[in-house]
Amino acid sequence: MTSDTALPPAPGAQAPAPATETQRRWARQHSIGALWETWGITAVLVVLLAASPLLSSDFLTVANLQSVLRESAYLGIVAAAMTLAVMNGTFDLSVGGQLALVSVTTLMGYAAGGTGLAVLVAVITGVACGAVNGALVTAMRVPPFVATLGMLFVFRGIAYVLTQDGPKTLPYSEIGSPFVKIGGLNVAGIPLPFLIMVAFYGAIWVLLRRTATGRRVLAFGSSPEAARFCGISVHRIRMLIFVVIGLSVGIAALTYISRVWTADGSAQDGFELRVIAAVVLGGTSLKGGKGTLIGTFSAVLLVGVLNDLLVSRGVDASYQRVVLGCVLITALAIDGLRTRFAAPGSFAHMLPRRRREAPAR
Amino acid sequence: MSPSSVDTSQAPVLEVSGLTVEFPGVRALDGVDLDIRAGEVHALVGENGAGKSTLLKVLGGVYPPSAGTVRLRGEVYAPRRPSDAHAHGIAVIYQEFTLFPDLTVAENVYAGREPHSRWSRGIRYGQMRAGCRELFGILGVNIDPDARVADLSVSEQQLVEIAKALGADGQVIVMDEPTAALSKEEVERLLDVVRRLRDEGRSVVYVSHRLEEVFAVADRATILRDGRLVRTLDITATDEDELVRLMVGRDIDSVFHREAVAEGRVVLRLDNVSAGRHLRDVSLDVRAGEVVGIGGVAGAGQAELTQAVFGALPLRAGHMELDGQRFAPSNPADALAAGVGFLHEDRKHAGILPDLSVRQNLTVTVLDRLRRGFARLLSSRAEASTYTEYASRLRVRATGPDQLISELSGGNQQKVLLARALAPGGRVLVLNEPTRGVDIGAKAEIHALINELTAGGAAVIMVSSDLPELLGTSDRVVVLSRGRIVGVLEGQDRTEENVVACATTGRRIGVAA
Repeated sequence: MTSDTALPPAPGAQAPAPATETQRRWARQHSIGALWETWGITAVLVVLLAASPLLSSDFLTVANLQSVLRESAYLGIVAAAMTLAVMNGTFDLSVGGQLALVSVTTLMGYAAGGTGLAVLVAVITGVACGAVNGALVTAMRVPPFVATLGMLFVFRGIAYVLTQDGPKTLPYSEIGSPFVKIGGLNVAGIPLPFLIMVAFYGAIWVLLRRTATGRRVLAFGSSPEAARFCGISVHRIRMLIFVVIGLSVGIAALTYISRVWTADGSAQDGFELRVIAAVVLGGTSLKGGKGTLIGTFSAVLLVGVLNDLLVSRGVDASYQRVVLGCVLITALAIDGLRTRFAAPGSFAHMLPRRRREAPAR
Repeated sequence: MSPSSVDTSQAPVLEVSGLTVEFPGVRALDGVDLDIRAGEVHALVGENGAGKSTLLKVLGGVYPPSAGTVRLRGEVYAPRRPSDAHAHGIAVIYQEFTLFPDLTVAENVYAGREPHSRWSRGIRYGQMRAGCRELFGILGVNIDPDARVADLSVSEQQLVEIAKALGADGQVIVMDEPTAALSKEEVERLLDVVRRLRDEGRSVVYVSHRLEEVFAVADRATILRDGRLVRTLDITATDEDELVRLMVGRDIDSVFHREAVAEGRVVLRLDNVSAGRHLRDVSLDVRAGEVVGIGGVAGAGQAELTQAVFGALPLRAGHMELDGQRFAPSNPADALAAGVGFLHEDRKHAGILPDLSVRQNLTVTVLDRLRRGFARLLSSRAEASTYTEYASRLRVRATGPDQLISELSGGNQQKVLLARALAPGGRVLVLNEPTRGVDIGAKAEIHALINELTAGGAAVIMVSSDLPELLGTSDRVVVLSRGRIVGVLEGQDRTEENVVACATTGRRIGVAA
């Protein structure tokens, strides 16, 4: 019977206007913590971009931005697939070895049969690597940590074996080849590797949010025991995840090797940890069940932009690693604080107080 | 206050007065008085949820009491942590052992108080072994002090626990359901050990559901019911029937109304099913429109039975039929596809998917039905309509379909999980503790829903440790004990006394021997 509009305004009220019902409902349902979870790292990226002209005068040039996007792509593609794994409560430590191996075999494929064969070999090698991991985890019941750690050495070792008589390289005469265009082409000013990365994120988003399989990945990550009683088979899901990671490495290796032109067993040492760092920085919980692709996407770009800024300021490469580590730890420390503000309704305190209710009749 | 003036031989070792323990929304113990004398075996009996475990945990320093006091040899005993209990000579042996499985027997018995040389701090293993042999000698058993605890049988592990308590000079030894997992011979040996402890002058608090053991070993028995003290009796002055009556002792009010339903055809048939560690030779028919209640003390095989039906536990022997067809689900997905819904008793750890929304929690068992179009993508519209249908039917109260399930109350979470169990088709429902930890309003709604479902022809298997619920909402009660059916109670036989009698004494009712 009582409505807010029926109440006479308090005489001489200087207080701000009371919040509307819509605002209230929004404030009840959302929280600072939940908002940070989804958009926090993106916000940091935007702030960093806004501040970049102050840090480096030539950051905001087309060529420089293109180079940042181009160089972030291969990390970003694998990070998207890794997000899927981390949400499921697992991870793949072998992606560094996979990347080295796929890079080597791709160059061998190119030498044997040109661009078409190179692309085919990249995808097949990647998927095969993923299938091996998946089989170890599902059929042999090896814990993912151990299985992928072991395969990290195996994949890298095979890459070393294949390059015993020198690193595989793309000869300079091939500069006009379509293969080189994969890493070098700009479409409407946007680097092709970045476009591939965006398309891959789109595909993973569809898999995660719009398919039954994606839902099961999330459900299992949230509570493995409950998922079992929902009829979810961990083996099928884990197999799929490792194959998708292998595929992502295949695609990522194409955008990487067509840019750097040379590979041996030592290529991209420590890649796996950079990928996992980006996923965690993006707000995906290592405990599983929680995470966003947009977070990983922004985290990858944040790392790329940060590296570029540090380089342009002339910071030594060793210090870049220190900075990256500190950023990761800071992000997780904020994450720890965040849980205090995660409850819905934490915005409600910020709204102006509701005027005193009319006395009950 | 003045212990010196009391004759110590008659004075109680342990005196509990007015003990109350409150948890949010529940009063687990309510003004309980109890005294334990030196050199007696004192049995503590009561139904599931009567407050026995809570009392033990207060003695063991796990829970602080909300009110009341405990006196040990006349002095106030207020343990703040389990180690305080040990220091005071009170040893509580819980059902889940606190042994280190990878250490040896001797290392476990002396864990935390290893004898060591003064200078090198090196542990004196010889002394530990000799001490162990001495302790086992007192207990009259023979266990190798160098054996790894994980290699011992459950009953031997229990004896290690007892030796540990004895070695720490435990004056009051509290055992929680010590025979739950033991064979008949092992039970005999344990009872013998208990008698030896008594002859040593120690006090034993013996918690058991098995009344024959209580009569075999105890001097006195205290009966708890719904967190209150019913009575303490000399064991020679009572009999099994009186104990059962005192344990139940509640007016059978008609809170729950089970509407009679026409008997349908057999939907689910279990034929000599054995599964898991101890479910054996269970044969059972469940008809359309029928609720079969499964009773028994905790851990008598209820979980194994329901999980076997749901395909979560492989059968060791026997087979099942669904609608007259062979039914052999190799995993829960098979059972869901056949229209069998399942509710787990552990809502928090094996029920809710805490990071997912209410809607996602509800539809997770029927995702394959929500796929549309060429790409077989999940249809938001189909998912929303499924959610709306079941959420309104079960009156789920959430701010919206996107609210996280972990933000709901226990009762509303349970309704979402029931909807999840219902969504695959609702022909056969396997419900474990459907109203555990649920407020009264939601409880009534869930009971009404079960009535409604069976009226529509569903076959329901319901496990409940809440006796009034078990009797009130089911048509037939099957009582399990040690993995076997010991009672099938129908019609006039469906009384709390009969359920308790079957479950605790193994007395058979309505089952062919």
